[in-house]
Amino acid sequence: MTPDMELSLPARAENIALVRHAFGALGETLAIDEQLLFDLRLAITEACANVVVHAYADQPPGRLDVLATLLDDELTVVVRDEGSGIGPHPDSPGLGLGLPLIASLAESVQLGRDEQERTEVRMTFSLSDASDHHGGQDDGNLAHAGSSVDERQTDPTMPT
Amino acid sequence: MSGPTPAADAMASPEPPGPVSLRVANGPLAAPVLARVVSMILARAACPLDRLDDALILCDAISAYAPSHSRDAHLSFMLATDARAIELRVGELRDGGASALIEDALLPEIGNVIERFSDSRRIEPARDGGGEELVLTFGFGR
Repeated sequence: MTPDMELSLPARAENIALVRHAFGALGETLAIDEQLLFDLRLAITEACANVVVHAYADQPPGRLDVLATLLDDELTVVVRDEGSGIGPHPDSPGLGLGLPLIASLAESVQLGRDEQERTEVRMTFSLSDASDHHGGQDDGNLAHAGSSVDERQTDPTMPT
Repeated sequence: MSGPTPAADAMASPEPPGPVSLRVANGPLAAPVLARVVSMILARAACPLDRLDDALILCDAISAYAPSHSRDAHLSFMLATDARAIELRVGELRDGGASALIEDALLPEIGNVIERFSDSRRIEPARDGGGEELVLTFGFGR
């Protein structure tokens, strides 16, 4: 299915803000619940940060692609790169919470590669039950609900 | 970890974001997303506020009129910037769509918004096959 929005830009840290702004506009246009939009942008930020920090670690920054598709009140966001793939990064500067955080914020998460062997993180968000989203609204705990990561080809010590 | 983090690099050396490609479905998403992306790029390039306003008017005109001339259900934009100008390439227009888009942007008592607010305009064959692209440059250097 053709995405409703595709953004492709160099995988540099400062460009993550540009992605966030684009999704801010998408959220306002679709009248996405404010809390859900916050979570959505946070999850996308984490996925993009993974690309910036890890995907092209030993090479010049390549492309960062972010695609959004809306179908039947479900928003699917794919963050994609052409880098080294997802794997353990013991020297990662992060806390190791990125993917668990994404999993807690999205309805579902899939890690893998597309038909062109590009690495992708595929997240889905339900727009219809925003009030129930991740169940963390009442106690402010982001981590206790949400989805698990579907590891199509991953390692438990994945980067953040 | 030694050396600056990517975030520290970003703070230390603000640079153009590099070529940015945006593709959106025709419809309500096009205008707000294009405006946000262009705003962000120009803000990072230290574009003066008055020219930022001009750029947003230009974007609004393109978003309003381009869907009528797209060759399918999407519009694509390629944005490249340097310290003094941005090039906005509007793609996926049908044959004749680029000139029709410019003609549509004629507003009473204001004139043609695209011609007035862009510094140069040219029409090129689409690089991805059929149709054409409208290539606009927009300067903001002091």
